[in-house]
Amino acid sequence: MTLKHVGKSYTRNDGVEKTTGSAKYVADMKFPGMLHAKVLRSPYAHAIIKSIDTTEALKLPGVFVVLTGKDVPGPFGVAVADQYPLAKYKVRYAGEPVAAVVAVNERVAKEALKHIKVEYEPLPFVIHPKDAVADGAPILHEDLMNYNVAPYVYPQGKNIYQHFKVRKGDIEEGFEKADLVVEGETWYPYIHHVQLEPHCAVAQYNLDGTMTMYSTTQAPFVVQNCINMLHDIPLSKIQVIVPYIGGGFGGKSDVTIEPLVSCLAKAVPGRFVRLLLTREEMFIGTNLGRGAYCKYKIGLSKEGKILAMQGESYLGSGGNVDYAVNIVTGMGLAGTGPYEVPNLKLDVYGVYTNTPPIGALRGYGHPEVHFPVERLLEKAARKLGMDPVEFRLKNLLAEGKVNGIGQVVKHDTGNVVLCAEKVAKELYKSPKPNKGDNILVGRGMAAYMKTPCMPTNVQSSVFLKLNADGSVTLATGAIEMGQGTYTVLAQMTAEALDIPYEKVNVTNTVDTLISPYEWQTVASHTTWGTGNAIILAAENLKAKLKESAAKVFNTDAENIKIEGDKVVYNDKVLTWGDLALGYKNPDGSALTEPIMGEGHFVAKGVQNPDPETGQGNAAADWTQGCIGIELGIDKTTGEVHLYRLINYIDAGTIVNPQMARDQVLGAITMVISSALTETLVFSEDTGKIRNNNLVDYKIVGIEDMPEEILIDFVQTPEESGPYGAKGIGEHGTVGTAPAILNAIYDATGIDFYELPVTAEKIMMALEGGE
Amino acid sequence: MKHSIKIRINGQWYLGDVETGMTLLQFIRDEAGLTGTKAGCENGECGACTVLMDGKPVRSCIILAVEADGSEILTVEGLREGDKLHPLQQSFIETGAAQCGFCTPGMLIAGKALLDKNSNPSKEEIMEALGGHLCRCTGYKSISKSVEIAIDKIK
Ligand code: FES
Ligand code: FES
Repeated sequence: MTLKHVGKSYTRNDGVEKTTGSAKYVADMKFPGMLHAKVLRSPYAHAIIKSIDTTEALKLPGVFVVLTGKDVPGPFGVAVADQYPLAKYKVRYAGEPVAAVVAVNERVAKEALKHIKVEYEPLPFVIHPKDAVADGAPILHEDLMNYNVAPYVYPQGKNIYQHFKVRKGDIEEGFEKADLVVEGETWYPYIHHVQLEPHCAVAQYNLDGTMTMYSTTQAPFVVQNCINMLHDIPLSKIQVIVPYIGGGFGGKSDVTIEPLVSCLAKAVPGRFVRLLLTREEMFIGTNLGRGAYCKYKIGLSKEGKILAMQGESYLGSGGNVDYAVNIVTGMGLAGTGPYEVPNLKLDVYGVYTNTPPIGALRGYGHPEVHFPVERLLEKAARKLGMDPVEFRLKNLLAEGKVNGIGQVVKHDTGNVVLCAEKVAKELYKSPKPNKGDNILVGRGMAAYMKTPCMPTNVQSSVFLKLNADGSVTLATGAIEMGQGTYTVLAQMTAEALDIPYEKVNVTNTVDTLISPYEWQTVASHTTWGTGNAIILAAENLKAKLKESAAKVFNTDAENIKIEGDKVVYNDKVLTWGDLALGYKNPDGSALTEPIMGEGHFVAKGVQNPDPETGQGNAAADWTQGCIGIELGIDKTTGEVHLYRLINYIDAGTIVNPQMARDQVLGAITMVISSALTETLVFSEDTGKIRNNNLVDYKIVGIEDMPEEILIDFVQTPEESGPYGAKGIGEHGTVGTAPAILNAIYDATGIDFYELPVTAEKIMMALEGGE
Repeated sequence: MKHSIKIRINGQWYLGDVETGMTLLQFIRDEAGLTGTKAGCENGECGACTVLMDGKPVRSCIILAVEADGSEILTVEGLREGDKLHPLQQSFIETGAAQCGFCTPGMLIAGKALLDKNSNPSKEEIMEALGGHLCRCTGYKSISKSVEIAIDKIK
């Protein structure tokens, strides 16, 4: 099949809006009578709330309401019902909302916060997941074992709310046969998404029982569900509207500020209430990412085959766990990296910690576990005296091999071997460059794989509205947050209908009352899931065109042909436009109905993993790849300069190469940042995040980027994907940190197992002569 | 205390009675209703709010509206001439340099400030001009490339 639109680098269909300042974001919107909210947050990471006095705050002119824990419903939570929109009885992280003010403007609301008196009894707190599972650790949720949890959640008590197991083969026998065993521990610190756009939600509740909310969410339908659960409002009356959002990266998925804003709106019926977070609140009062401590042990034969792997991982998950449960799953499903491991034992624990909740962050559990795997395999290759490339090729999940959860790698699973070969060839094509006496040059690589961790029956629906001029409007519930979704979906629509790309327009606002259902825009699954729905909708639209034309020509639908924008029967011709709103007889009476294509896709055959072994068809698909890094380290400063970045990824058919390349680069860039500079620093006294601004929490800038970048594709069409496509948005995050650390080792002989590897740490290690 | 000020934005005068503490960014977004300029940190750290003030790039979140009284401001909305997009806008679209679009207005203005004073900047000069402007989406390469393409377009 030759493709006309899929595979072309069309320019983004939101480009004009986004470069002229006309693209609208939630914080750009104003509503008549809009009130403003501010949140009082806990200064302690763990404390009992002894009393709250709001009397003085309420007296301030311009203050409408002040809410505290006693005024809000809960507990809620899809996986574990362990949180409230405002803390009740105790706080579990510094930054947790304790009270909220609604006032005539932000200034008054802020002033009112100063007049709320809260008495706390501070408790011992715990930040690192390793400490949270130690004997005598402070317990965050005393009543955990009595909480309502989803069927796939297995709380263990103490601070452990989830235990995910993967078992395959015979682990003891595997280690017995091993000639070499390597072990190590890694720590991927807590980091923040740093979306440039702060979270914002504006909501209005009406006494007729309807709720409207504009929000910067990746998950309007999840927010809708949450409001339904909290306030018992029928789903049909909950309108969550999402325009463009200024970066998500998972940090705006599931629910964040929306439960609280819904409560505030409920307290002042008829008025819009807006909550816009400050940059500081972004750090202390929204979801964080990573926070993974892993302890791995790998056994190998002297020929360089992996015989056994044992991993124990702990995901620090914050004061309430929300969806961190599913990150734990991701760490299990991908816990071997893209390597064949015949004997496997993985235990992943989800652990409460006194940090803001850990939620989705681009990569979703996969970078966390690729870190120990790729670092330890590098170490193993070295100890065996083998070339690290050759060693990897021996063990990678080639076609026919079996992955950690028992799935046989099929042709369309993707070709990680080819990706690795191509990266290696490019990375090592010439000797290391000489950058002078002060610069140590190193090279390293890491292979990776990632699956979307989704509900087993994840749904995507779309409508294709045929307009009277023959143009088509695609209605989708998918969010545009930078990833170029609407362009890619328009390309697939044009392909499926065989019409010019220019004839397709995509709705750029999602509205849960009228948009077709879409689970949420996460997991790099929109191209795959929504794309599949588009193909179904296009078939549906074309069938309706044929049926209508058959009535007009008085024949059977199978005799009708669609040729371009014409509907043809022998020598008789109609345009799509003639049929769009229904065909009229010469006497003016209507003959046929208006035409809209519907497509409803649901993933089939994906199962929950077995609770005891983690085995099963639990991953819908895998995107795989390999990354190589060449860098230099300044011996006098410890600074790292990235020279070359090479990445090959097999994400099936690439719908838009230019945009796909930029997605991969964007993802890699985030992890260059977390590998070299980013980490949240918690105060030892209070447990509050100290570097809660963009100066002290440094993300990479233009000057930190690699000099040469090669990002290319291996395109093995994915059977379950539209036109063979599958996810690509997150995957650049997965192997980047270990690739950089492997290169740092190559340059300096120093092994790092904790991120970030800052210039100071490198200097210290160099001076220490390690 | 309120101050009566007037600021010319994109060629149009906007009058306002503003509190001392109001920032230029707030004046642009809330008083003039020009929401193209974005607030990423309101603390001078991200560059999203950059506008030209009397021809120079400034972070409008750390300038008071009263300080800008009488000045000439250019925001992202003022870049195009009528229906014709500025070469930088065209090149940003061509390369896909606007992903989520939130840093974009600041990047465009920084690029414009550079090209106004130097019609043929080197790669280093481009990097310097965009330094300190944070983007979490793109990895920056498409943005610097857009500025390079715009140089040729302007020639
Ligand atoms: S909003 Fe002004 S620099 Fe960030
Ligand atoms: S395009 Fe999203 S921050 Fe730059």
